Amino acid sequence: MKEAGAAGRGRPRFLFWVTIPALATIRAVGTALRGTVSVVGFALAVTAVAMLRTSAERRAPADAEFELDVPPIPGEVARALSFGFRSLLADFTLLEAIQVLPQRHGNMTPEAAAPLDRRLFRLLDYTVEVDPKFAGAYRFAATALPHETETGQVFGVLSAVQILRMGLRERPDDWHMGFLLGFLQSYYLRDFPSAARSLSIAAKQAEAPAWVGLLATRLAAQGGELQLATALAEAMLAQANEDATRKEWQDRVNALHMEGDLRAIEEAAQRYREARGSPPRSVQALAAAGFLPELPREPHGGRYLIEADGTARSTAGERLRAYGLYTRFEIH
Amino acid sequence: MTPILAIAGNTVRELVRGKLLYNLLLFAALFVAGSLLVAQLTVGNWVRIILDMGLAALQITGALMAIIIGVGIVAGEIQRKTILPTLAKPVPRWAFCLGRYAGLVLLLVLNAAVIVALLRAVLWLAGYRLEVTALQAAALICVEFAVLAALAVLFASFSTPILAGSYAFALFFIGHLLPDLRTFAEKSQSAAARTVARGFYALLPDLELLNLKSQASNLLAVPAAYVWRAAGYGLGYAAVVLALAIFIFSRRDLN
Repeated sequence: MKEAGAAGRGRPRFLFWVTIPALATIRAVGTALRGTVSVVGFALAVTAVAMLRTSAERRAPADAEFELDVPPIPGEVARALSFGFRSLLADFTLLEAIQVLPQRHGNMTPEAAAPLDRRLFRLLDYTVEVDPKFAGAYRFAATALPHETETGQVFGVLSAVQILRMGLRERPDDWHMGFLLGFLQSYYLRDFPSAARSLSIAAKQAEAPAWVGLLATRLAAQGGELQLATALAEAMLAQANEDATRKEWQDRVNALHMEGDLRAIEEAAQRYREARGSPPRSVQALAAAGFLPELPREPHGGRYLIEADGTARSTAGERLRAYGLYTRFEIH
Repeated sequence: MTPILAIAGNTVRELVRGKLLYNLLLFAALFVAGSLLVAQLTVGNWVRIILDMGLAALQITGALMAIIIGVGIVAGEIQRKTILPTLAKPVPRWAFCLGRYAGLVLLLVLNAAVIVALLRAVLWLAGYRLEVTALQAAALICVEFAVLAALAVLFASFSTPILAGSYAFALFFIGHLLPDLRTFAEKSQSAAARTVARGFYALLPDLELLNLKSQASNLLAVPAAYVWRAAGYGLGYAAVVLALAIFIFSRRDLN
């Protein structure tokens, strides 16, 4: 009966008290084993991955030389294919150029620096081709491209001038374009008339500091372009609306008139010497002999004198000269 | 007017609940914030990089939304047949089309306002301020969204969602190439090619007219007269395209 009863309840008491805990234990052991195996398996997998990575890194082929260069698409095509995002594209090519610059060391030989110079120029040229209004790229080109060697050789000036000429054409409103171009033309190329013209464009911009115009006139005078210098100084005087600025420009106009007179006197003195065989004693003598149309009036209130070597000077003002421009570079 | 406003409001509510808007907004936010890091790689002028990346994020996310959602709000509804209960009510088809379009454009403008606010915050953090040209550029980008949304609705009114999206994306790209098409028309030796190119130039939307991003990032002033005219052109083009979409949609058999 008992057994029947037990069978009627489904499972004998003995089995309930003995087998169920055993089964539970086995199940717990099984679970623990499965958990342990999972943890160990996971740890093994992580270790294997780490080992494989280290092993792969050890056997990895050498890095290919990564060169930042212009995209293979021409700038004009890239500008069209940027679908309206051309300034963003120009930003990224400028950023590439900025990454190239630190690779050029000061003690690099010109031969070693040449590929970097070429790449820098191409990237900057590409940048301004994609976005011709990018003033920052022109300014960066003016400072990054030219570099000197200890032997007086200069590289990258002509490339920088080429880019800045485009900058002056595209962004005449930014006075830095004319100023930087004028600086390169005067300092490296010693082309004072061109430098004066570039600086005079810069000086006409409202935001340009006053000294840009003064420098332009000084360079024009040095380069023999007195007409340009005088025209610029008179234009600046006409638009100056502060007393201090007006005085500054009036002084410059006077100095340019004086420079014109001194050149006329020197030229007349030369002709006098050639005609008479001896130098003139004074400016008055030159005028009296008809070598000067009239006795020039010194604009500062002083007098003009002729030195023994035939050079003329004023007793009241110094001649206009651009100082510090006597270094001669070998341009490449 | 009431059904249009009701449908427009409903469209905004429906789209605000969607995940696409937030995903694209998150992308734009990351892009704009990331510009602050990228700007540190350049020399001197950070404002350009921040503006370029910010305005690009605004345009990319907005164009994607305008086309994907623009197609979905008409072609998607037709495909899923969810349009039928709406049209069973006394709502004319033109009102449905116009309401859906108005809702989408409103959402795109709101989205643009959020991104511009974020851009302004990033510029402020970098020590710059948002110039007028950048705001003009953002305004014209919103006009471009209106054009793209209208094109998406037009293509969705007679095509499947995938095809409609493809056509709208194609026009987005072509629209930015139109000045080159004009140059081609001017320089072409063949009279036939010149006529065809001029025809396409007149027909297709000139999206480059609405692109002031370069001027904004170069801090160049743009005359207000230009902005008004360009905006007028864009909105007028969108209106014509939408009218065409309504005309086609009104005659379409939805069964």
